[in-house]
Amino acid sequence: MPRVLDHVAWEACLVEPHPDQGLEAYARRKTGIPLPSIRYFAPVPWLARALVDLHPEYGLLMYLDQNVADLLTLVVSQENSCRFCYAAQRALLWGLGMSEDRIQRVQQELSASLAPRTAAAIAFGRSQSRTGPAGAWDARQALCRAGFSGEEIKEIAFTTAATDFLNRACTIPAIPVRPLERMPGQLRMRLLRPLIKRILERHRFRGQAMPPEPTPSYPYGRLIEKYVGSPIAVALGRTIEEMLASSHLTPRCKLLMFAIIARGLGSEVDALDIGEALEREGLNELTFTRVLTHLEAPELDDIERLLLRFARETIWYDPAALQRRARTLLDRLSVPQFLEAAGVAALANGLCRMAAMVMDHP
Amino acid sequence: MIEAVETATGFILFAVLAVALYHQWRRGKSLQAQLAAAEAALEQLQRACSRLAPAGVVQRLVADGIQSNAGLVAERKVATAMFVDLVGFSAMSERLDPELLLRVINGYYQRMSDAIDEHRGQVGSFVGDGIVAYFGAIQPNPWECDDAVRAALAMRAAIREYNVELEHEGLPPISIGIGIDRGPGLAGLLGSYERREYTFIGRAVNLAARIQTLTRIHQVDILVSEALRAALAPEFIVAPMPAEAVKGFAESVVTYAVRGVQPILSRLTRAEERDNVEHT
Repeated sequence: MPRVLDHVAWEACLVEPHPDQGLEAYARRKTGIPLPSIRYFAPVPWLARALVDLHPEYGLLMYLDQNVADLLTLVVSQENSCRFCYAAQRALLWGLGMSEDRIQRVQQELSASLAPRTAAAIAFGRSQSRTGPAGAWDARQALCRAGFSGEEIKEIAFTTAATDFLNRACTIPAIPVRPLERMPGQLRMRLLRPLIKRILERHRFRGQAMPPEPTPSYPYGRLIEKYVGSPIAVALGRTIEEMLASSHLTPRCKLLMFAIIARGLGSEVDALDIGEALEREGLNELTFTRVLTHLEAPELDDIERLLLRFARETIWYDPAALQRRARTLLDRLSVPQFLEAAGVAALANGLCRMAAMVMDHP
Repeated sequence: MIEAVETATGFILFAVLAVALYHQWRRGKSLQAQLAAAEAALEQLQRACSRLAPAGVVQRLVADGIQSNAGLVAERKVATAMFVDLVGFSAMSERLDPELLLRVINGYYQRMSDAIDEHRGQVGSFVGDGIVAYFGAIQPNPWECDDAVRAALAMRAAIREYNVELEHEGLPPISIGIGIDRGPGLAGLLGSYERREYTFIGRAVNLAARIQTLTRIHQVDILVSEALRAALAPEFIVAPMPAEAVKGFAESVVTYAVRGVQPILSRLTRAEERDNVEHT
């Protein structure tokens, strides 16, 4: 049976897998199943861990129905045309016992078969992926009308943003999709399905309240403050800290990528917040304004110049075109630099979209 | 004997029922596959449409239907408009065979569209031998002015390459005139009940068209308005042209010819150059 993303062109993988026992064991402990795809991200450990830590499936959600979150992840991946995440989520739902028919019905939005709240959450995921922060206010109102509580809405915003992050992180390096797409059709997988279901269910757990931590000083610290007490705050905070501490790209380069994506998405407030962090990195206001306005400034180095242009390409994209542009980066960057750039762009896109939903911008 | 007949009849009925059920099941599967294929096609179509109109508009059209008033919602926005014209097309059309002319024109359209697409612009329409393109009209793009001029420079380079190909085939070279302006306008699905397209209309579009005609007077290929020049990055090399009166505008129009773009030397490159000088 054809899947909706079968027609989406997907380039050959841009990076080689690097076996890393530590990371693979970490992923297996958390998810219960081997995750071979993690090997592609091994040169950048913060990114590899974030792909597992920020997945809405594993102990992050306290209020939102996990089944709604699962469907949301599926439709956002479909909207973003990430064949890898879409196939992975289909495989997960299939492993959890959902029939192909049911998955198909969700995609076709046969709302008669969906609870009104589920349908509203799915509609939200679709609209956010299509219109971005510009449509955030209307989308939030629609969720309120559907009866979601404030806490649930925050978790829906996180699930959508985390999926945006996962989608870009896997799309940019063109992680191979065929093994996952073929999986539900394989006889041995069909035979193992009951066992897979048990393992997945055992590793699927609800989030537990966490003790509040002081507001972090890095960008999007105020966004994380909105999730205080939730495991989401801890996971996001740790990811941002590790991302900024990683040495493949300079903190200034990463913050500039964040600022460009915020500006491209029309979030001037986020861009200014990031500007404060850049000031601490020694970038003056004039240069920052010039970079925001023209993606250029004499003060930038070659890598920054290259990656700022690439960062804006990740905002609205067609997977194959983005992958072709990403391939050209590999002529100028090392593999760890390339993967870190992909991770930073992915995270910035997710956080900016999430902030538009959760923060009350003036 | 009767028992045997009853058993056989029961068996036949069971077999007929099983066959009917099997056919029904296969029919269901086939319909399901057709539905999935239709869905995939629809998804593809929707994605293609999102290149022609903003995602929000496409979404409303899909949800409410093209016959409804969904597409009639227009919005005011600031965008950049570009007009491209093929210089000397009329003379060329008289000299070349229709098939050859079509090939030359399609080659031109393809190269121009690629350059526009590559720089985040959208081809609005092909008007005769001209092209109308917009930057920042469908998706918000804070870098639309720089993008439009970079696209124009890419078009200039593409025409140079195309002329080399044409020369090899013994065909006459072609040249283009490009006019660009930026300003507020109305964006939305415009047109008749039967045929609508996502369009950006306003003073900027009209002025871009007029500026394009000035390329012949000033003997240059790319001209931008004062408003666009003011928004351009400093590395673009532009030269002011004498103000000219244009049809439909009360005041004379000041334009700037775009010469090229000066590459910015990075800190690293400048340091390397300094080192080289010191060593020398």
